[in-house]
Amino acid sequence: MWHKISWRLLKHELRRGELTIMAAAVALAVCAVLSLSVFSERLQLGLMERSAEFLAADRVLRSRGAEIPTEWLERAEQEQVAWARRTTFNSMAFANDELALVDVKAVSDGYPLRGHLEVASEPFTEGVIAEGLPGPGEAWVQGSLFQQLNLALGDRLEVGESEFLVTKVLSSEPDSGFNVFADSPTVLIHYSELAGTGLIQPGSRVNYNYLFAGSASDLASFENWLVPQLDDVSQRWQNIQDGDSPLSAALERAERFMLLASLLGVVLAATAVAVAAQRYAQRNFDAVAVMKTLGGRKGQVARIFTLHLLLLTSVSILIGLLLGIALQASVVGWVSGALGYDLPNTGVGPYWLAIATGLLCALMFSLYPLLRLLNVPPLRVLRRDLDASGLSRWLHWGISGTTIFALMVLYSGSYLLSLALFAGGLLAMFLLLGISRLFIRASRTAGMQAGSSWRLAMAGLQRRARENSMQMLSFSVAVMLFLLVLALRNELLEDWRGQLPDDAPNFFVVNVASQQAEPMQAMFAREGLSATELYPIIPGRLTAINGTPVRDAVSKEERDDSEFREGFGRELQLTWQADLPAENVLREGQWFAPGESGVSVESQVADRIGVGLGDELTFRIAADEFTVPVTSIRDVDWNTMQPNFYMVFSPNLIENMPATYIASFYLPDDRRPELYSLFREFPQASLIDVEDILAQVRDVISHVSLAITFVMVLVIGAGGLVLVAQVQATLEERQQELVILRTLGARSSLLTRAVTYEFVMLGALAGLIATIAMELSIYVLQTQVFNMAPSLHWRFWVLGPLLGATIVAALGWSVCWRLLRQQTGNLIRQLA
Amino acid sequence: MALIEARSVSRNVATTAGKLQILSPLSLAIDAGEVVAIVGASGSGKSTLLSLLAGLDLPSTGDVIVDNVSLGDLDEEQRAILRGEKIGFIFQSFLLIQSLSALENVMLPAELAGSRNPEKQARELLEKVGLGERLTHYPNQLSGGEQQRVAIARAFIGEPQILFADEPTGNLDTETGSRIEELLFELNREFGTTLVIVTHDDSLAQRCDRVLRIAGGKLVEQGANTEAGAEEKSSAKGNLATGSKEATTDVA
Repeated sequence: MWHKISWRLLKHELRRGELTIMAAAVALAVCAVLSLSVFSERLQLGLMERSAEFLAADRVLRSRGAEIPTEWLERAEQEQVAWARRTTFNSMAFANDELALVDVKAVSDGYPLRGHLEVASEPFTEGVIAEGLPGPGEAWVQGSLFQQLNLALGDRLEVGESEFLVTKVLSSEPDSGFNVFADSPTVLIHYSELAGTGLIQPGSRVNYNYLFAGSASDLASFENWLVPQLDDVSQRWQNIQDGDSPLSAALERAERFMLLASLLGVVLAATAVAVAAQRYAQRNFDAVAVMKTLGGRKGQVARIFTLHLLLLTSVSILIGLLLGIALQASVVGWVSGALGYDLPNTGVGPYWLAIATGLLCALMFSLYPLLRLLNVPPLRVLRRDLDASGLSRWLHWGISGTTIFALMVLYSGSYLLSLALFAGGLLAMFLLLGISRLFIRASRTAGMQAGSSWRLAMAGLQRRARENSMQMLSFSVAVMLFLLVLALRNELLEDWRGQLPDDAPNFFVVNVASQQAEPMQAMFAREGLSATELYPIIPGRLTAINGTPVRDAVSKEERDDSEFREGFGRELQLTWQADLPAENVLREGQWFAPGESGVSVESQVADRIGVGLGDELTFRIAADEFTVPVTSIRDVDWNTMQPNFYMVFSPNLIENMPATYIASFYLPDDRRPELYSLFREFPQASLIDVEDILAQVRDVISHVSLAITFVMVLVIGAGGLVLVAQVQATLEERQQELVILRTLGARSSLLTRAVTYEFVMLGALAGLIATIAMELSIYVLQTQVFNMAPSLHWRFWVLGPLLGATIVAALGWSVCWRLLRQQTGNLIRQLA
Repeated sequence: MALIEARSVSRNVATTAGKLQILSPLSLAIDAGEVVAIVGASGSGKSTLLSLLAGLDLPSTGDVIVDNVSLGDLDEEQRAILRGEKIGFIFQSFLLIQSLSALENVMLPAELAGSRNPEKQARELLEKVGLGERLTHYPNQLSGGEQQRVAIARAFIGEPQILFADEPTGNLDTETGSRIEELLFELNREFGTTLVIVTHDDSLAQRCDRVLRIAGGKLVEQGANTEAGAEEKSSAKGNLATGSKEATTDVA
């Protein structure tokens, strides 16, 4: 019988719109979680796919000096993971009686597993996607080698014992990377031609790279099998997130932003559920009292309302799922259209996550209101002031807190992040509550001198100080999260844009002879090209730290491994500078005083090899070995298209050693044809075109920008719902008062104004508090989570209060207006 | 043998100023079939007495015995069951469940008690109180008098031994109020229920067998009212349908 009662209650309440907010909040939570997680997962898969093009694969195994066992590749095949070889080494190439150092790249069929090779018929012109690989006896050669060797298509190029026909200009390789120093022009040949060159001998410095691609699960399974077998010295397993990619920072920030914003969205939706559930319970106090009076047992009543809630939850979850599917489909369609390719599909995971979120939100947040409801004494039928007693508010906070934490963990999969956010949120909440009460108290004097509507509004604000400070808390939280997501989004976008402005350098010029440095600088000035300074480069090795030799590939076999310190295992590009390079920031120590000897170390490298201020580093440059103290540690932004260095020496140490120079500059697209003539006077210098890499980075960033905008819109939706729920709840509390004032002859206009003013004040205060809280949170997030420079947001100090006042007042006005439009008699009857 | 018996019951409440006695110790007995009015001014304690007699609240001292069962020995659940089986209620503010139609409101106690065919019974009762045409209407679509008639039908559906009515005409105009009175007494006679009415309306009290007068939390009079009761019993017959003429024009 009881299930009939609960079904009946639900049916009528749904029809009368009494449960709309509650259902909408649950549906929104489900819809937000579903669309966000499906969308962000699809987007991430898309991003990974695109980003994988920087590696030309999903994963790369780099092996220095030796091939890997063939069983490893067989294993990859068994695991359905595709693979290809990419073997690279430096060699001299001859053509037209000229000689140049080249990077020979021998690749097997299937290469590249991700992304495309592009070829052209003229150097430095736009290429087209290449079909297949160079055929037998053929080589595809990068533009700068054409310049160095005076090559033309159809010329013959000697590499080792083989001779290759140059058939295409290699204009773009997906895995060309950012390492401009070591880059000699690429000569691409087929792997089967490698043995014929006779260049692979025992002891040759060859990099054997193995590219792998496949589904995430197959890759994970292969990875789990493979990685434990790697020696960490000469073999390295790499994926796009390993930090070597210029995108990894952007990707990481975007991921954190999406995670954070989605979490906030869910918390907001949960708050809306909590507010609505409380209202729902309050509305049913009388029904429970009547049922109990008429002989309903507590268990019976509990079953009726639990089923009622379950039915409501199921309906809401279903609506949320449908909305979520529709929303993400349209957004994915739109984003795919904007990006020009389809986003990959995702599994059922997000659907379960969404359902779990809906259930958790609806059931846990209504648990306390439900318990209160069931505790309503039957005596309420005679004494209307009685509601549920004996239930501690701490129980409410306890249940809500646990649920929010569970949602955070469920969503982020990280206890640490959840704990940090949760603790921060708790602290912010207490602070906000305190500030709200303070503000309300302070507003008392202000209101006393005001006109009648204002006085009424102030009186309202004062009388409900406690409830109002709770309402203000939820208004503030909603406005704050909204501002936070908006500000963070702008910060991220501006930060990315700042890193890659439209005139970011798109060419590097390397190998500039010292006597040509000045003429080149003059050429840049003459031609009006924006270029960086020319930095000297001197190749050298780090051999010891504080007298302890460092591990090095070359010296690897001479001693027991444990006697070495971690080093670089390769040659470094050293430079000297009298002044701190632009875009570098000193973290520790001082920049060189004139005449001082020392070296400045990049901060990440300093952490990796474990050196600090005052440590003595020994370097070998050509035949000279010398030791210098570390005098400063620098932060370097590797995402800028500038020559960056791990080690910068004071000028007095190495300025007289033979060096070549490097610079980067921006050449507008329409001036590309001039490139040849501009650099004709510098035949030894090599040009490296990074336009493609820039374009790829910009593409991914536009991708991510779309994603975070979408996330922001959802968070705004959730915030809006909290506001609506809260305003509705508060107005219901005020209904009685409104009716009394109305009955006493107060005009609707006065009442509407009074309520609107009250909400204007509440909203403005909430907006102001929200702005303060937002600035604090954003400072913590920028410095701790996003690794960005902190900043103040003055615009938001105006926007916050304005936004709060406008939205809250508009909502308050609309609900109040609807209430006052009804006949007073009707309202009185509703109250009875 | 008394159906309801109060033995030295009192009720105190704790306030910030200390303990406040809202009902001084009193004893009374109500026989089966008796119609009793509890009268007194506002705040005299009559509703408190009703809540104790009906088992909605427990006395601070003393005990209430209903049909040989001591309410003090029962927990909240057992008292709910007892109410469901033996007691019906009518309230001043009607207390219909807003989300349920008239028919569903009347069916509710029977459904809670697990009755097999509550709908038929509820329809009959609503016909009886003159609302056969308004079964699917919701409380906010009914006038005050109509809502109270739904409440009366709801009170009688379980055929309770005892019916407590708390100011049943308090929220109604005089004319509607007297029609509700008629209906109440008529159904009461038909079902042979013991009726306890809380009222401050002397004319309503005069129609009862006995009047218990409360003042300042004390029982000051519990005299028989045979004349008035006899008159009532002979005069109010066949007036069931009169309520159907009530105005419903103020319904939105």
